[in-house]
Amino acid sequence: MPRWLVYGTPVFTVVAALAVSAVALVALSVDPVAAYSEMFVATLTDPFGLRQTAVRAVPLVLTGLAVYLPLRAGLWNVGAEGQLYAGAVVGTWLGLNVELPMVALLPLAVLGAAVAGGLWAGIPGYLKAKWDVNEIITTLLLTFVATEIANYLVQGPMQGGRGNFPVTDLLPPAATFPQIPGLDVHVGFLLALAAVVATYVVVRRTRLGFEVTVVGSNPLAAAQAGMSTSRVYLLVFLVGGAFAGIAGFSEIAGVQDRLRQDFSPGYGFTAIPIALLGRNGAARVLLAALFFALIFVGGARLEVSFGVPAALIDVIQALVILFLITAEFFKRYAVDVEVEREPTTAGGEA
Amino acid sequence: MVGFLAGLLDAAVRASTVFIFAALGEIISERGGVLNLGVEGMMLVGALGGFATTVVTGSYWLGFAVGALLGVAFALIHAVLCITLKSSQVISGIMLTLLGTGLTTYFGQSWVDESIDGFPQMTLPIVGDYLVEIPVIGEALFRSTAPDFIALALVPLVWWFLFRTNLGLEVTAVGEDPETADTMGVDVFKTRYLCVLLGGAFAGMAGAHLSLAFSQLWVPGMVAGRGWIAVALVIFAQWRPERALVGAYLFGLLDALQLRSQGIDLSLGAEAPLASVVNPVLDILLHPTIMATYPYIATIAVLVFTVVRLDGGRYGAPAALLDPYSRETD
Repeated sequence: MPRWLVYGTPVFTVVAALAVSAVALVALSVDPVAAYSEMFVATLTDPFGLRQTAVRAVPLVLTGLAVYLPLRAGLWNVGAEGQLYAGAVVGTWLGLNVELPMVALLPLAVLGAAVAGGLWAGIPGYLKAKWDVNEIITTLLLTFVATEIANYLVQGPMQGGRGNFPVTDLLPPAATFPQIPGLDVHVGFLLALAAVVATYVVVRRTRLGFEVTVVGSNPLAAAQAGMSTSRVYLLVFLVGGAFAGIAGFSEIAGVQDRLRQDFSPGYGFTAIPIALLGRNGAARVLLAALFFALIFVGGARLEVSFGVPAALIDVIQALVILFLITAEFFKRYAVDVEVEREPTTAGGEA
Repeated sequence: MVGFLAGLLDAAVRASTVFIFAALGEIISERGGVLNLGVEGMMLVGALGGFATTVVTGSYWLGFAVGALLGVAFALIHAVLCITLKSSQVISGIMLTLLGTGLTTYFGQSWVDESIDGFPQMTLPIVGDYLVEIPVIGEALFRSTAPDFIALALVPLVWWFLFRTNLGLEVTAVGEDPETADTMGVDVFKTRYLCVLLGGAFAGMAGAHLSLAFSQLWVPGMVAGRGWIAVALVIFAQWRPERALVGAYLFGLLDALQLRSQGIDLSLGAEAPLASVVNPVLDILLHPTIMATYPYIATIAVLVFTVVRLDGGRYGAPAALLDPYSRETD
């Protein structure tokens, strides 16, 4: 595949999505040039905007990996949102109810969140591995189960704080993420970076990662080569779910300080286009997550300074996906043409 | 108690109509081999489009039609992406839900304060005036709005279409084995387009019913997950319209119970054995938020149960669901 096509597609996709979204801006008589310059240029040239983008990227990177890993193995995890809630609930509960110094409490809460997210994703993983139950449906449906249970908990048993709002008590300082010295970004950002590096190393440099990739590209061949597809299926969901669980707790411990009803603006769903954009490597997942974080932050600024409804963010996201999958088609078509010309060089990336 | 039951039944029947429309559409689409996860988004555009049209023109029938058309327009995007461009049905569907949510929230803000006279209450034509007199169920089943009756009428119609017409059998054929269907002279692409567009029309009607008949108002996000429940319902109903009707009533009943759960008291007396264990559990199980999870849990249970019982065999899902069809022979 020509190089310009590999790097050109994401750029084209984003530009096209922004161009079409401009129609929505014009419809509310907002100057799209001024709006986009506020959204991107102003955010990126302002230290506060940069910090916000980094903070927003944390749950997006982690849930992005939660979708990316199963996708490597050929499975769809469309339920990262539910795994995120599972992690947020368990992490917050540990933070509120266990009395330990920070050095012990934070790792415990993060671990608890990872286990919760991993187990929640492990249900569809197990069902897929054991009985071949469609993972798209189970991950999706379990998301709504998780969010409703979280809602129930913050309305009832875990409800705290003044008044009768569906929120928990504030986390004690020992259970909140400290800032990275000098950066004013919470340490969850380092966790997210570490997760990207770990994923990269495991997928690219280990036998296990190789198995995941082979199972993803050809499960039959993998089985014939003696690899256990069910072990891989279960594993990618457990690890992916653990990432999403950490995403949930890091959003509470790093940003919101208490669990509240519907605290996530759909990070786990945005993770799907992120994994799709970053399908070819963990580093690209990071890039895609940073881009969507920028859209989230820029969209919020737009709402403040231009009065544009924040729902524009959803429209831009949807259009990015729309143009991305359209471009995929033409890319496949272009590759087909090329392969026909030079049959010996056939074989692109997975 | 009779009053409570009649009220509950009435609310359940009303709540079920949305599920009937949306699930029937999803059944047609999936039987043709195309999963539609965009129902939620299509319902939202149908709800806003129908509402706005009714506010402007004063005609709720026109609003209902516009709602259906907007559903078709959204479904057309899905059809082009999934059938012609062979994109992932999962991604396309989730994209459409995101797009529908985004667009209707973005443009829907100014319609929130408008009010309409939605579909009026009526009795079932011809026999309804007598049947409403039946105790408990009469009012619930036979006094409703026109779209409620349309939804009910669509259940046997869709059944007849799918199982008794040539076109319906072709739909099943392209959903089960598109290669063979193609060999037999069925136009796979055209048939799948028809299924997806019909599914979109039904989803649009579901949304329009919600804003024009059920709630008679517009609020962003008012579909509130009903589209996802419809997707679940189709699996629950094993892709059969008549079972979808039963499922819609069950899920509608749950919907109605959530609003009235305070009225239900199943707890044991204080001196009954195990009361201290059973009562708190009952409190949790009957909590409206927990009850909202039941449709999803029931669907997963049905899915797992059928798969396990058939030991990995077919569980009623169209065999070619999620597979794009291409004619190239490589």
